[in-house]
Amino acid sequence: MAFLLGDGVINLTPAEAKTRKIPFRSLDQKQVSTLDFLSDAIVPGAKSAGLSHFIDHQLSAPHEDNLLILRYLRINPPFKDFYTSALKAFEISVRLKYNKPPLDLSEAEISEFISIMRQKKPIGWPEFIEEPKQEVPPAPFFYFVLRSDAIDVTYGTVNSFDNMDIPYMAHIEPAHPWESPS
Amino acid sequence: MTNHIDKTDVIIVGSGAAGSLMAAKLSEAGKKVTILEAGPERRLEDLTSSQIHARRLKWGGDPVEENGKQPIGNVFNSGYGTGGSALHHYAVWPRLHGEDFKVKSLYNRAFDWPIDYDDIRPYYDRIQQEVGISGDHTAEIWRPEGDAYPLPPVPAFQQSEVIARGFAKLGKQTSPLPLAVNSRDYQGRPACLWDGWCDAGCPTRALASPLAHYLPKAIKQDVNIIHNAAAARILTDKSGKKAIGVKYHDKDGAEIILMADMVVLAAYAIQNPRLLLNSADGGLANRSGLVGAYIMSHAAALVYGLFDQETAPYMGATGGQMLNQDSYDHKDQRTQGFGSFQWMIAQAVKPNDLLGYGGSNPGLYGAKLTEFMARAAHHFGTMTACVEDLPLPENRVSLSSNKDRFGIPLAHAHHTSHADSYALWRGAKQEGIEIFKAAGATEFWNGPLGPMHIMGGTIMGDTAENSVTNSYGQCHDIDNLFIAGPGLFPTSGGVNPTFTVHALTLRSSEYILNNWSGVIS
Repeated sequence: MAFLLGDGVINLTPAEAKTRKIPFRSLDQKQVSTLDFLSDAIVPGAKSAGLSHFIDHQLSAPHEDNLLILRYLRINPPFKDFYTSALKAFEISVRLKYNKPPLDLSEAEISEFISIMRQKKPIGWPEFIEEPKQEVPPAPFFYFVLRSDAIDVTYGTVNSFDNMDIPYMAHIEPAHPWESPS
Repeated sequence: MTNHIDKTDVIIVGSGAAGSLMAAKLSEAGKKVTILEAGPERRLEDLTSSQIHARRLKWGGDPVEENGKQPIGNVFNSGYGTGGSALHHYAVWPRLHGEDFKVKSLYNRAFDWPIDYDDIRPYYDRIQQEVGISGDHTAEIWRPEGDAYPLPPVPAFQQSEVIARGFAKLGKQTSPLPLAVNSRDYQGRPACLWDGWCDAGCPTRALASPLAHYLPKAIKQDVNIIHNAAAARILTDKSGKKAIGVKYHDKDGAEIILMADMVVLAAYAIQNPRLLLNSADGGLANRSGLVGAYIMSHAAALVYGLFDQETAPYMGATGGQMLNQDSYDHKDQRTQGFGSFQWMIAQAVKPNDLLGYGGSNPGLYGAKLTEFMARAAHHFGTMTACVEDLPLPENRVSLSSNKDRFGIPLAHAHHTSHADSYALWRGAKQEGIEIFKAAGATEFWNGPLGPMHIMGGTIMGDTAENSVTNSYGQCHDIDNLFIAGPGLFPTSGGVNPTFTVHALTLRSSEYILNNWSGVIS
């Protein structure tokens, strides 16, 4: 994927982009931290695989070239509001239940919350958020999408196939395989 | 400003399975053919082996608004760019059975086709010889009469051997899955390596996608493919009974008119009716009022399991390795519901994507997911039932009040499964679990109903009162306007549609050539 670096454009994997701290285009730092925290709890390894850079990069990709699984799921672009509103809803709901911000949750607490959000609407999960007003996806649907994104980046790469001891057998290898640093 | 370009003999809208075959046959007979393809140019070297990159091949044009209890799944089921949906199809090519053509006569349900199996059989036989299908017609005991497959069957890897034991224990049959994938070199195309990247498009040409087979033949005859050409309207003469061309928009938004003696719509089952409905008040070729009606989608009954044995689930073809059609004929003799289904057994599966094993069990997260992924990489098994969907008039494509950037109404697609089709799906997935138990799966579960293939919307029939076209895809109302593709199907059957699309299109192309003067006059 092409990332802006200084005055130029450089091709990097999301993991490389994360390591090199490439600036985000669509998400702010708080959104990135929340995304990393939640996705890594759902799919361990997603954070280091560069999930946040992958999603951030794709949020500004043209629709016909977009690689997010969301394009399969009857959500029309642009996709940014889908993620940002859900991350906000996640924070609202977590604060209501645990009286602390998401990043302060213990391992047991985030696991408990995920167990709820994958099945039903957690307490306090809004249907809309204000300023700007955005529709919030249902929690189980957001869980499904984020989990799928995280599996893409964590397991759908040349390196991850190697780690699972299965052959990739590419006819044409991805030019920049999304691989986790080993 | 509207630009006009030189007249051609035939405009074909869409470069997928039907469009590419039609273009090849008409151009080889000397007709000047132009294809309008809504999406970008795709080349074999663009087909990167990645389930993530594969998403670029799926529909990326104007959004389709979907509703209903089982939405049609347009993006996943459609293609965008050279080769259309067939560029990412899995090349499972079984034939429809005789009773699929006579559902009304035999069961007083749905419709009869205006042809029967004997009419289409020669075209199945010729297509399989031209393209190449790997299979074993003797082991495929359910198959109607027809020539032997020209290629040996696809190999059976560990996954299918493990699952086949479950079928055998329950007294059920299995055969090699008929695949339009080369088991050995054929027609100048190489044998498959069985690496499971079919969904991402096959760059080796072992799989018979349009880029592998018919488009090269068309291009050799100087067929002109115009990419990023979004067809907006079919133009007619003042009488409204003769098509004279197509208006389309190019990538920069310029409006262009291309004139022709004949127009063939091969833009799949959603965009064909959208184009017809937008081409005249009340819809073009719509005396029946049925343009857009009776869209169907096979319900995929997904079965998953883990086995103690190594299954090597990464080996094979995405469509699968084996077939069972014990629940196909005698549509009224299912345990639940009505219709036909077949099992496609042992799909090659990757870790990620909607059909990957990572997505098969979405309740798993955290450490349990990590553990599952490691085990599934070597011990996962899956099979899919392709379940018939009975046509309903309310399942239809209509024009939305929302418009695209050129002011063309978007397509709106409503689909809710017929109650008997839904029951058939439920019965299939229960049967699947019993088979996996018998096969010794240590864990087994089902996925949700997945829409698979899109059919109907411009159905063929005997009269202008009950259908949009005749059996050749020729519109009842406009002699030189043809429709090609699965949109013609009056009923869905329970098999993958692409082989039938090829057979019907070959038949139509010969009708066009044999009746050229009369058709365009």
